Amino acid sequence: MDLSFLTVQVLSALRQAAFLFLISSGLTLIFGVLNILNFAHGALYMLGAYFMYWVTLQIVGPAGFLLALVAAPLGVAVIAAVIELGLLRRIYIQEEIYQLLLTYALVLIIDDLAKIVFGPEFKSISKPEILSGSVTLFDGTVPVYTLLVVVLAPAVAALLWYLLYRTKTGKVVRATSSDREMADALGINMSALFTLVFAFGAVLAGLGGALAGPARTVFPGVGTEVIIESFVVVVIGGLGNLWGALIGSILIGSLETIGIIVFPEFEMSLIYLLMVAVLVVRPWGLFGRPLKVKALSEKNLAMEAQEISPVHFAVHPAVRWAPLLLLLLVPLFAGRFYQYLLTQIFVASLMAIAFNLLLGMTGLLSFGQAAFFGVGAYTAGLLLTKTGLGTLSALALSPVVAAAAAGVIGFFCVRLSGVHFAMLTLAFGQLIFTVVYKWYGFTGGDNGIQGIPVNPIPLGGLGDIDIGSTQSMYYFVLAVVALSVELLRRIRSSPFGATLKSIRENGQRAAYLGLNVKLYQWTAFVVAGAFTGLAGGLYALMEKSISPEIIHWTKSAEPVLMSIIGGIYTFVGPAVGAVVYITLNSYLVAWTEKWALVLGLVLLTLVLLLPGGVVGFVNEKARQTLGKLRCIRKWSFSKSATS
Amino acid sequence: MVILEVRDVVKSFGGLRALQEVTLTVKKGEIRAVIGPNGAGKSTLFNVMTGLLSPDSGSVRFDGEQITGMPPHRIIRKGIGRSFQITNIFPRMSVFENVQVALFSHHGKSRNPLSMARKFKEIGEETLGILDRVGLGEKYDASASVLSHGDQKRLEIAISLASRPKLLMLDEPTAGMSRFESRETVALLQKISREQGLTLVFTEHDMDIVFGISEKITVLQQGAVIADGTPAEIKANPEVRKAYLGEEIAE
Ligand SMILES: Nc1ncnc2c1ncn2[C@@H]1O[C@H](COP(=O)(O)OP(=O)(O)OP(=O)(O)O)[C@@H](O)[C@H]1O
Ligand SMILES: [Mg+2]
Repeated sequence: MDLSFLTVQVLSALRQAAFLFLISSGLTLIFGVLNILNFAHGALYMLGAYFMYWVTLQIVGPAGFLLALVAAPLGVAVIAAVIELGLLRRIYIQEEIYQLLLTYALVLIIDDLAKIVFGPEFKSISKPEILSGSVTLFDGTVPVYTLLVVVLAPAVAALLWYLLYRTKTGKVVRATSSDREMADALGINMSALFTLVFAFGAVLAGLGGALAGPARTVFPGVGTEVIIESFVVVVIGGLGNLWGALIGSILIGSLETIGIIVFPEFEMSLIYLLMVAVLVVRPWGLFGRPLKVKALSEKNLAMEAQEISPVHFAVHPAVRWAPLLLLLLVPLFAGRFYQYLLTQIFVASLMAIAFNLLLGMTGLLSFGQAAFFGVGAYTAGLLLTKTGLGTLSALALSPVVAAAAAGVIGFFCVRLSGVHFAMLTLAFGQLIFTVVYKWYGFTGGDNGIQGIPVNPIPLGGLGDIDIGSTQSMYYFVLAVVALSVELLRRIRSSPFGATLKSIRENGQRAAYLGLNVKLYQWTAFVVAGAFTGLAGGLYALMEKSISPEIIHWTKSAEPVLMSIIGGIYTFVGPAVGAVVYITLNSYLVAWTEKWALVLGLVLLTLVLLLPGGVVGFVNEKARQTLGKLRCIRKWSFSKSATS
Repeated sequence: MVILEVRDVVKSFGGLRALQEVTLTVKKGEIRAVIGPNGAGKSTLFNVMTGLLSPDSGSVRFDGEQITGMPPHRIIRKGIGRSFQITNIFPRMSVFENVQVALFSHHGKSRNPLSMARKFKEIGEETLGILDRVGLGEKYDASASVLSHGDQKRLEIAISLASRPKLLMLDEPTAGMSRFESRETVALLQKISREQGLTLVFTEHDMDIVFGISEKITVLQQGAVIADGTPAEIKANPEVRKAYLGEEIAE
């Protein structure tokens, strides 16, 4: 290895680290003070890049470039301040998941707005002449712009250090970030501080975008890539820790550069592998500390009324059987399009209800469910294409393999809680995604698997059932999903379900009932993984082709969104969410390209107005009415017998 | 017969010595108060005894068995129940479910994934029985989060009772209750202890209650035991008077 090569590589690693640091320092700062993991940070980065693009178009030349470098981050800050004041502020008292969801909705909205304003195509930002050349350094050719970035980022880091450690406001920020209650007690003006920190974090993201724009390209959705990388950085470094973000950026920047040279196929896998390794050894990241568990009194308990407790109210069986009956009749009057749409909804419902066993019942936000969906789908897909296994056997193995994967992954994940749990599941999910995406020899890589043969299912001496047609597939999927959903419903109303709920409500108290909380969480994780895997297997059968996209993290977000749309504290909520989501998707995509914008607005409205979801809202209304009438109160055992 | 034996337990938080060689022996059926000023280490002692914290050194034996360093869920299974100083219940579950889920655990049903919870009639009856006993029978279907503070404390006692512990540890069971409520609660505890031979260890700041019901009292100060004896002995102990109780029991 010669010096010139080394110089070029080191500088390229540093440049990458510099970009990462600019983005993740803001992310970690916001998390430290506001306790919100800001999904929209990547979108803010994107806005920074677009503003840069716009300003440099208006004023060409070095002066314009310089001006843009200042104006773009400030523009982003203004937008961020508006977001904080208008939206975020309203949901600080709510559970973490709603804050996450709100920022996720913002991603969808900002991405589509960017598409409308700037167009869908890739944009490149021109650099002024003095910045576009290259210089020779230790015999290596290095772009001037790289040098600029590599010098500018440490300058920003130094400035940050000065602001945080040498100014009064900075000290307040650090105090708040390490002990919110203390800061509260000291009478610090929290609301002003929150706005300030959020806007300041946005400046850093905007600067990151403005600087990276000319080096990379800008396009709507660029933020989704950036945000996951920054999550990796801040989680490795320790959430809320600035030095962690710095070290994390350098680590990831270097690993990416080394990975491209040494291990070009699996460069991205390396990063997630590192994240997994760090979180397994140091659950709170390299520099992080355990997050303070919020006292129960701090949590929003407003939704306590939304769950109609199965102990006190029993839904009449007809309510459950009527929809099934109706669904059995659908193919008589609905065409293939609707049958196919409904089949999609069934699969999505199964995935969402299984996922909600974790979120709504056990209180665990998994952000890697797509991995189990994918494992299930690939199990069925690979078995059917590469072995002579029958359709049913292949499908039956989907949940088994997915459960095994969930068993291993869950073993590491349940040791963490809250946002760390979410991040570790995300890392595992992305690890699996990157491997499947590149492993051409086994999974078909990004080509996926096409033409999965779905043979008729033999029925002993009774002949075969062919599930090749849309209609027979409809009935087949309906049968499998209905059975699974019934099983999941039973689990929910069982003592095991009640136990999971108690763990969600108060893990410590649950341990003091003599329960091994981690073991129960692990079991829930495996059960959810198994049913998700089954959904994946069904997907492979109905689509007859699969691709790695079904494992991508954006796919993991889907069951989260569906559950929240429908209501996480209800059983059917996630299925209702699936109906809304899939229907919106298939109609809006046909009708407009801006389906993400609509979805984002729907989510935003829900979070702000109907935080219990659609079904949660209906349940609450029902409970209010029925509570007044007291007509369906149904005791299984008489009260008088005991007194 | 000795049921709980704490020997030379030391626990430090950084430089702070929260417990300094604490030794405590509780006999079966005894009602024991652990008192001391704020920050004396009472809750820390409870946390060490029930496995939430492991001691730096020293040992805890329950019913003749070493339980030092065991996780809470295993200690609870041995027959210890506990309530917390800051109310610790399942807020978004009904009063009924709060106790029912504890009974599922006690009867080894928590792992049953396919039977309906409400089909367990005996557990349902037992739940109502316990609720009636602590005076929450009428409120069985309320959400635990909307109960008054006093009711929540009582619910927590009900949850702890569900596992039929041999030893019940209550960290300030009457904190925040009205005078009437605390008197009722104390009477309840006394009754349960007498009827079931339950051993009771509790902390309390209200000296009327402490001297009213305890048979033995341990006084902690800055993490060390400064006195241990019957209420009469404690009242007479000059060190306790000087260090902690002062005029309050001078009468
Ligand atoms: N987890 C902890 N980390 C650090 N210090 C702690 C911790 N728990 C307790 N302490 C400290 O140990 C000391 C004893 O606290 P403890 O809560 O046991 O007192 P207490 O006797 O229960 O007081 P109170 O009557 O106010 O409940 C206090 O100084 C407290 O600040
Ligand atoms: Mg205490």
